[in-house]
Amino acid sequence: MLSREADACFWIGRYVERAEATARMLDVHYHAALEGVPGMLEWESVLAIADCSAAFHARHRQISDRNIISFFVFDTDNPGSILSSLTYARENARSIRDMVASEIWECLNQAYLDLKEWDIDRALAGTPHALFTKIKNDAHLFHGITYRTQLLNETRDWLRVGTFLERADQTTRLLDVKYHDLLPATRAGKPEIGGLGVGGPADIHGWIAILRSVSAFEMYRKTHRDGIHPAGVVDFLILNPIFPASVRYSIGQAEEALRRVSGTSATSPATCEPERLIGRLRGELNYAQAEEIILAGLHEYLQSVQKRVSEIGGSITKTYLSYQ
Amino acid sequence: MSPHGVLGARKRVLNVSLLETYKTGNFYDELMLPTGEPRPHSRALAEHLGTMPPAEFAQRARLAETLMVQQGITFNVYGAEGGVERAFPFDLVPRVLTSAEWETIEKGLTQRLVALNLFLKDIYHEQNILKDGVVPRPLVMGAAHFRREFLGADPPGGVYVHIGGTDLIRDETGAFLVLEDNLRTPSGVSYMLENRAILARVMPQLFQDMGVRPIADYTSHLLHNLRALAPEYRSSDPVVVVLTPGVYNSAYFEHSYLAQQLGIPLVEGRDLIVEENIVSMKTTHGLKRVDVIYRRVDDDFLDPLTFRSDSALGVAGLVNAYRAGNVALANSIGTGVADDKVIYAYVPQIIKYYLQEDAILPNVETFVAFDDKQRDYILANLDKLVVKAANESGGYGMLMGPQSSLSEREIFAERILENPRNYIAQPLIQLSRAPAFVEPGQFEGRHVDLRPFALCDRDLKVTIVPGGLTRVALKKGSYVVNSSQGGGSKDTWVLGKSTMSMSMEPGRMQLELDGKTMTLEGGRDA
Repeated sequence: MLSREADACFWIGRYVERAEATARMLDVHYHAALEGVPGMLEWESVLAIADCSAAFHARHRQISDRNIISFFVFDTDNPGSILSSLTYARENARSIRDMVASEIWECLNQAYLDLKEWDIDRALAGTPHALFTKIKNDAHLFHGITYRTQLLNETRDWLRVGTFLERADQTTRLLDVKYHDLLPATRAGKPEIGGLGVGGPADIHGWIAILRSVSAFEMYRKTHRDGIHPAGVVDFLILNPIFPASVRYSIGQAEEALRRVSGTSATSPATCEPERLIGRLRGELNYAQAEEIILAGLHEYLQSVQKRVSEIGGSITKTYLSYQ
Repeated sequence: MSPHGVLGARKRVLNVSLLETYKTGNFYDELMLPTGEPRPHSRALAEHLGTMPPAEFAQRARLAETLMVQQGITFNVYGAEGGVERAFPFDLVPRVLTSAEWETIEKGLTQRLVALNLFLKDIYHEQNILKDGVVPRPLVMGAAHFRREFLGADPPGGVYVHIGGTDLIRDETGAFLVLEDNLRTPSGVSYMLENRAILARVMPQLFQDMGVRPIADYTSHLLHNLRALAPEYRSSDPVVVVLTPGVYNSAYFEHSYLAQQLGIPLVEGRDLIVEENIVSMKTTHGLKRVDVIYRRVDDDFLDPLTFRSDSALGVAGLVNAYRAGNVALANSIGTGVADDKVIYAYVPQIIKYYLQEDAILPNVETFVAFDDKQRDYILANLDKLVVKAANESGGYGMLMGPQSSLSEREIFAERILENPRNYIAQPLIQLSRAPAFVEPGQFEGRHVDLRPFALCDRDLKVTIVPGGLTRVALKKGSYVVNSSQGGGSKDTWVLGKSTMSMSMEPGRMQLELDGKTMTLEGGRDA
């Protein structure tokens, strides 16, 4: 497979995942704010985590639902907006449309064309939830069509490497958002539980919202019968081996896809730098414990995982995607 | 057909018909006779069209457009905010050719492509045709697309043009004429194939009783020919690729479509590398050797070491690898000299010179400004002629004499005198017309041309799938069919050798075989 094509597949995977994650994040915060769920973060924290506070304030004088949704969904000057992500995914798909099943291209093309039919007024006139749901469903359709039509070849492997690396990254960001939210409470000297300054009854709603945003609430209930608590949520979203949005699962899937590319197995020694880096991260996630992570500092841990995911991405690009 | 025939009967019943109000005007019409009856071979088609209410036709036209947008068969309209994308205008009324008409076209284009290949081989080697004075030497040597760098090189089998697209028009008598040859990187074949696929989806009933010949095997022939071009020592399972300038090229859809249909990689210049005259592509598993390149990048941009050094689209060293015989290109380098609009004027003589035959498909009468006498004639008749620059395409650099202003004619007169080598002139041909659907709900005549796609293998055997791209000037009264100038396209049907259809009404049976009608009537009148 051409390096350029592998690169396009890798980024299609990442952009579709990014669009979906952004839609989920907006959905949960928009509705939590509407319902007045206590313990949920401010939009300002969302901007900080997405690292685009400055970009946002350069374009909008004040924070409002309208401005936030415009910025995160429709603003093409924001490279992380949903429209930007879908545009990039579609343009990448166009450049490799000969490599993938026609339906995959048509799905991404349609998702983009549909979103172009929306604007902020239409999104706010009905319920923004309809728009966010549509974005999520488009991403699901993309994964479903790929699963159903694409040969189990390198094209699919690179789509998966991109998808799961991005998912691991997004899940750590989601938890990090929660951490930001808690900072003021900690500063105010509220009672600390589990080393996080968390735990009042109001705060439970915040954790539930986080779980809901990755469709994890019901699944969490099935695995953690002792209720919603920080260590449980950290355990579920970072370390669960079989929950499809957990960091551990995502890294494991990305590793398997990478190993298929080189034709080796995850149990054999690494054949290249990306395999070494991702294998080590997967190994650590396999044996980590939630309490230990919280004690050492959740924020520091999440930052370190994000940094390593980014290193893995860089190493993949260097080894496979940009032929020197 | 009599007014009491099948069509007439249905018309009366529905009391509304797109064809009823259709006027052929003083042009050769592809579908209808001057009497207002359909041409005999198109009767079944006309009947289906005649029974379709305008509103339904409009609805299907929108469905076709939606299908094209979904599949991304679009082009960008520049200048609009956010880059508006439009589907290529596709008119749902097919254009029909009889098997006899097709036979002439097929023979004529085969003859032409063989002769032009022999011409290219000759001018890049012995140059006998120039020595014999059949084509003036300065016209060839001065052609913008003559490649000195490629003199004496030997493409596989001595064949230069593997894929050709020659534009044909029909004059007011219905005779086919060659308007121009496209021998570099002709485009449009994807629209030929996709138009058929889309029409079959949105108007399946039109195909009934017509015996339309299939065209889907085009890509099989193309792949077979491309594979055969591989260097012999590499021929067991050669690697064939399509080379595209990239996603921003206006024909990118076609490049990716062909790669997909052929099942071969689509590469850009930056995906290829030449080392020691071997071309390879950069893959996730290292370099992989390439044997045949179906290139859709012009000569000028193909290799910065040989041609334009500022080209970022090409591959450094590609031309040398080609000369060394380690990779094959389709089309070869330097073919543009043979589709030069001035050389065009000499094609009948070129055919005669190499094949000792008269051209089966005549040229449009052409005056060459390079010749003193002909130039005088051109300058004296600018208001009656169509003037074309030798190397412009897409409908640019043209003067439509009869529709021009005095100042436009003065500008062209100056240009012609300045650079006579660069201009030809032709009388304005009254291009044939075909009905096209016009919103909100009627058929109007629009001018059409025809571009069939010819494939030539390394043994000079020519294959032309029965069909082509019918381009249509959708602007009322316009003669310019190019998509950049408001043109669209139609599906093109070539009918099988024997067509038989049958229609029955109470007391009456009608059989039609190869366009001849036989009616059996019972005691009662229909």
